[in-house]
Amino acid sequence: MVAQDPMGAGRSALSTEAIRRLLAAALLLGAAILVAVSLSAAWLVARDQEYTGWVNHTYTVERHISRFSVLFERAEAARRGYLLTHDDRYLVGYRDSATALPKELEALQALTGDNPRELAAITELEPLLSNKLNTLEASMRAAQTQSMAAPTDAATLEEDQPLVSQIRELLARMVVEENRLLQIRTERQTANADLLLAAVLTAGALLAALSIGAVILVRRYAADLDGSQAELRSVNEGLERAVAERTADLTRANDEIQRFAYIVSHDLRSPLVNVMGFTSELEVSLKPLQALLHEVEEKAPSIPLKAAREAVQADLPESITFIRAATRKMDRLINAILRLSREGRRTLTPEWLDMGDLLGGIVESVQHTALERGATIVLESPLPTISSDRLAVEQVFSNLIENALKYAKPGRPARIVVRGLTTGSGCAFEIEDNGRGIATADHERIFELFRRSGPQDQPGEGIGLAHVRALIYRLGGSITLDSELDRGSTFRISLPRTLLRDRDQTA
Amino acid sequence: VNTHQPVNIIMIEDDDGHARLIERNIRRAGISNTIHHFTDGTSALEFIFNGSEGPILNGPAMVLLDLNLPDMSGTDILTRIKSVDKLKRTPVVVLTTTDDKVEIQRCYDLGCNVYITKPVNYESFADAIRQLGLFLAVIQVPEVTE
Repeated sequence: MVAQDPMGAGRSALSTEAIRRLLAAALLLGAAILVAVSLSAAWLVARDQEYTGWVNHTYTVERHISRFSVLFERAEAARRGYLLTHDDRYLVGYRDSATALPKELEALQALTGDNPRELAAITELEPLLSNKLNTLEASMRAAQTQSMAAPTDAATLEEDQPLVSQIRELLARMVVEENRLLQIRTERQTANADLLLAAVLTAGALLAALSIGAVILVRRYAADLDGSQAELRSVNEGLERAVAERTADLTRANDEIQRFAYIVSHDLRSPLVNVMGFTSELEVSLKPLQALLHEVEEKAPSIPLKAAREAVQADLPESITFIRAATRKMDRLINAILRLSREGRRTLTPEWLDMGDLLGGIVESVQHTALERGATIVLESPLPTISSDRLAVEQVFSNLIENALKYAKPGRPARIVVRGLTTGSGCAFEIEDNGRGIATADHERIFELFRRSGPQDQPGEGIGLAHVRALIYRLGGSITLDSELDRGSTFRISLPRTLLRDRDQTA
Repeated sequence: VNTHQPVNIIMIEDDDGHARLIERNIRRAGISNTIHHFTDGTSALEFIFNGSEGPILNGPAMVLLDLNLPDMSGTDILTRIKSVDKLKRTPVVVLTTTDDKVEIQRCYDLGCNVYITKPVNYESFADAIRQLGLFLAVIQVPEVTE
């Protein structure tokens, strides 16, 4: 919409382009960071889950180890109690623990299948346990067969003490191993969590930096835009002012020309009236002279009258005829100027004109002449509708159509085609004929006042086309000509679709 | 009060040639009334309003008026004449080179009785003047009441 200063536009486009590229890069980078963070976070979380699983596994193993040792100690304690008291309650406790112990060991074995050290410990533990259990079993059976009251001796109680401490040591070793694993695994988990935090923080920092960068870029971009807009505005205002000033100048100049034309034509007529009037008076005075000459010739033929007769009968009437012709021509020219100046001063009043109707009216008015000359006039519909001054538009088209009829090529029936179409904010019209055409050298000249082209075999003063062009200019349009001698002419007119209200209301 | 007082013709025309042509044609039409010729508006108005032979002090008159005068516009004179009670019935014939419709209309609006365009075609002009003579003979020039 706005007229752009090419330099300003170029500069702002350059920085705009750079900023656009930077913004796109920032967006891409941000997206890449987000994707990377998501992927690594997912990976780290998965790893965390794995580590947590391992830590839990360690706890499970430890629980089993402690259960195993509890069961073992209970079995030992129950046996001791039974051996000392022969109370059956101890017997039951012992049996429970003794049957549970191998199962527990199996479970431990299954759990620690991945750890060779624990497996080694378990493998070591297995024979020890079965050995111990056998020992216990044996001592229990012996005790059962012995008399109820006889207390078992301390030696029996302590005979497998090395075995017990061996088992205890193994169990302790397993616990130590598990604790070592737990420590490692916990450390790994912590490291993983730290990594996750670091990744998220880094990504956050990067994104924040990017956002800040993008915001700065956008702000600079906006500031640039504001700047160039302000520049454009001021350039526009300057332009509008310049245009307004030019228009005022032109309007003033135009007014002056119009006034000049009016005064000149008006004041030229006054002396012309005298020339014409007194020429007629001369003619009137000539009559008694001619009568007198006639009388003298009759009554006194001896007087030599040759020179007087020539003057009165030939020279004077001839002179008068020439003066007449010249003044008539001058009158027509002055009238033409007057008409042009009057047209120029007329206030244009735009109204909606259906060009089909308007041209139809013109064609009707020249139909008689057209029929007489065997000419055809074609209006190619559809014709646009425009808002313009009716009288001016009518004069333009009737002038051109009449010209086309007038300057048909002798021996070829005239065919005149008028067409029109809407082009954006304006309308274009064509008046095409197959007439005698206009020599290329005269294409500009024929639009000048009192200038004509080709054989001067038609009446006219060379006013029509000058008038047409002046009218079209006033209507805000233009006219061009395409013509070839003997082929025909095409006048192309462009008019605005809507005529602005007349601004130059010259009085 | 003399009801048969002759009508004076007051011709206001700055172009002597035109004045002469008008006078000749009036005479040719057989009208012998006195013609007072003025070439500018000021002296014409002076005669009309204050002249001893002017229409206010001395009987009926008819005014032949050219619109283009060196010192004022003919329409000013027309307005002055038509704005005075004693003169407003005085016939005014506007003779000018302008055939501008707006101008003609304005003259009629101001009270001009006849408007004649001075054509270059002299015959029709002479005709118009002669008809003006007939008009002069036919019209009842209103009596100026004292």
